[in-house]
Amino acid sequence: MSEWLQQAIARADSIQDGFSDQRAASLALLKDTKWPTRKTEAWKYTPLRAVERTTAVAKEEPAELAPVAIDGVDFLELTFIDGQLISLPEELPEGLTVEMQESTLFGSIKPSRHVFGLVNDVLAADVAVVTVAEGVSIAQPLRINNLLSEGSEGHIRVVVELKANASLSVIENGEGYGATLATAFTEYQIGAQASLEHYRFALQVDDNVAIGGCHFKLLEEAKLNSSIIGFGSALQRIDTDIIHAGEKADAKLNAIYLLDGQELFDLHATVEHEVPNCTTEENIRGIAADRSRAVFNGRIHIHRDAQKTLAELNNRNLLMSNKAEINTKPELEIYADDVRCAHGATVAEIDKKALYYLQTRGVSRSQAQLMLSFGFINELIDQMPNEALAEWVRPIIRDRFAQMEVK
Amino acid sequence: MTEQIDKALAREYEAGFVSAVESETFEPGLNEDVIRRISEVKGEPEWMLEWRLNAFRVWQEMEEPDWAHVDYPKIDFQAISYYSAPKSMKDKPKSLDEVDPELLRTYEKLGIPLVEQQMLAGVAVDAVFDSVSVVTTFREKLEEAGVIFCPISEALHKYPDLVKKYIGSVVPTKDNYFAALNCAVFTDGSFVYIPKGTRCPMELSTYFRINEQNTGQFERTLIVADEGSYVSYLEGCTAPQRDENQLHAAVVELVALDDAEIKYSTVQNWYPGDEEGKGGIYNFVTKRGICHTNAKISWTQVETGSSVTWKYPSCVLKGDNSVGEFYSVALTRGRQQADTGTKMIHLGKNTKSTIISKGISAGRSNNSYRGLVRMNPGAEGARNFTQCDSLLIGDQCGAHTFPYVESRNPSAIIEHEATTSKVSDDQMFLCQQRGVDPEKAVSMIVNGFCKEVFKELPMEFAVEAGKLLEISLEGSVG
Repeated sequence: MSEWLQQAIARADSIQDGFSDQRAASLALLKDTKWPTRKTEAWKYTPLRAVERTTAVAKEEPAELAPVAIDGVDFLELTFIDGQLISLPEELPEGLTVEMQESTLFGSIKPSRHVFGLVNDVLAADVAVVTVAEGVSIAQPLRINNLLSEGSEGHIRVVVELKANASLSVIENGEGYGATLATAFTEYQIGAQASLEHYRFALQVDDNVAIGGCHFKLLEEAKLNSSIIGFGSALQRIDTDIIHAGEKADAKLNAIYLLDGQELFDLHATVEHEVPNCTTEENIRGIAADRSRAVFNGRIHIHRDAQKTLAELNNRNLLMSNKAEINTKPELEIYADDVRCAHGATVAEIDKKALYYLQTRGVSRSQAQLMLSFGFINELIDQMPNEALAEWVRPIIRDRFAQMEVK
Repeated sequence: MTEQIDKALAREYEAGFVSAVESETFEPGLNEDVIRRISEVKGEPEWMLEWRLNAFRVWQEMEEPDWAHVDYPKIDFQAISYYSAPKSMKDKPKSLDEVDPELLRTYEKLGIPLVEQQMLAGVAVDAVFDSVSVVTTFREKLEEAGVIFCPISEALHKYPDLVKKYIGSVVPTKDNYFAALNCAVFTDGSFVYIPKGTRCPMELSTYFRINEQNTGQFERTLIVADEGSYVSYLEGCTAPQRDENQLHAAVVELVALDDAEIKYSTVQNWYPGDEEGKGGIYNFVTKRGICHTNAKISWTQVETGSSVTWKYPSCVLKGDNSVGEFYSVALTRGRQQADTGTKMIHLGKNTKSTIISKGISAGRSNNSYRGLVRMNPGAEGARNFTQCDSLLIGDQCGAHTFPYVESRNPSAIIEHEATTSKVSDDQMFLCQQRGVDPEKAVSMIVNGFCKEVFKELPMEFAVEAGKLLEISLEGSVG
């Protein structure tokens, strides 16, 4: 067991008086959990040195930070700074509530297998519970900001519940400055015929150690459209779980990771088809340059009862340097026969013919590379339902490519 | 339909019988003395004993792997007897006439009439009955070509330098738990050496057979294809019916030197256990080949037997321009569990690998493909294509895919795709409309599903494989 984990457990022990049963159970489980090593399948390619050596500490007083501005989007904002809830939306539209209390959903959607999820269970001080009432559509997107100042450690947790026929758009925005450590887990229950539009951005990352997850439970005919965009850092690890618990639910997940320098990015996407007639579509694209390392694990699990499932996963990667590394593992675990499941994964460099074609048209090699890799990523950005967000993210990605080019 | 299913489910394992050959068998148990005794019985050189003992020490330090998608009761390695040899071996048969007629009858029951096969197919058979090779045919013809094909225990006496040079060079002692165990206790297997520039004049074949009750069989096969040579090797196995699980932990090492080619084909039909999965063979095999410059290794396997299969025939593509291939059909039914696949390790420039895996699950079985494709930094211009297809028959079975893809070279191209489907009602309807009965239709559809793999098999094997699938699938569709 690592020193870091021991300290986390000691901290939890000191505050456990007010713990709910769920948190107490997580603490007990955490004490039995082994620190992941290279032999732990879920952490095979992702060393935890960055956590073991972190200098980040939990701060008593949160620093003063403001989340990045996004033109053309009128948000409702929920802001955590250094792990503490700083502000709630001032005026909430009717049908939307944000409460600081433990919900019965807490810990019910996020699987307990994740050691850092358990750490989050016991150390997230403020749990925000967002509820959208039945039949209510919230027009304004809700942005959940998780800001960390230099050297700080924070654990944030949000539970979102969409009742039947509700709809909501949530943007999870993580920003860390310098060497920080954060765990950020969100749990979503999407009610019958409800619809969630979801974004998770990790674009301001510096030397962050950020480990987190978004976990979705879909009830009958629920709809999920999720987009995750992340840059690598000292350690970025995101676990997503999509659980089809109601028939005819439909989930779409698009994810992008762009890595440079010595960065590390690890996305573990799990889909649980527990009931019949659900559909899942996942498109994951990544680029690894310089000495970076990208890890993707995409698991689709079709349970015995989940007949007539349609599930597809596609993971495409560009490897830009012979010092970089891409490890991908799309998995299928299928126990029902009348299903259509497929997955595909590719790793390659930019198509030489396309590169040559552009060069024959007078485009410089580096410019052509930029165009092609941007095009590769932009196909997914074009699919983002919120056009203003897409407009905002495109130049950030372009800048990122420009940086990657300099080296 | 239900009637057909019942009939098929009640089908007895066709190769299940125990032939009464007297055997000299060690009492169950494993320790250094047992290993010394094995080595002594075999009259092995000192270095071999040391090698075995070292492997045993390594094995004791290791833990049994638990990552595979299989579930079986813990193996008691002390309850296994590590040596068993047909008694008549002491008389050293010189020709088929001298072979224990009981043995010959065993093969006949299995449908492998040695004589006929020698005559018709021109196949030299190194038949392994339990742990000692009993008869080797066509030796002279092979000797003429300079090809060495003999039991590995014999090779240790006759060609100790060759064996010493290559044994453990592809699958090192500490490679994995079962390989280490095999190093310590292997009793026999085949040794093949093809000299430089030689094309082996015939297909080499070994039929394996576990016979003695409670005897784990630990085969060791070593094939060395010297520069510019070619060999095609066939391996097939069946085992008689019994109640206790039997462990089979073989190791196969292939060495393809520059410009050489090895084609290794397997039809595996070990006893899969009864309806409840009781009594079948545990097949925990390590198979790996190393390809030097411009060399090629091709693994083709048809896996229909064993209660638990744990098997990943792999290629280390060390030399530039070397090629690795893996074609597999794995069929599971009843309570069978298979976790099988391949590893393609690309080290050299312009290396190529192709993986075609077809998994068919029926009954209450679980069938997993587990594979690794790794492009090392030196694998400039390397290429991999992987296709894994699963077919599910019935709603109580499972089909799984666990491919690991690791790339560290930007100029390497890796493509992996996997699909899952079932024998569709439409296909069945179409066939039946045209007067094809359901059994035949399923067999046709499955054969079509596996065609890409079957065409890689040598002719006789392809026929046998097709028949095997057909029999195995009888009544699986309702």
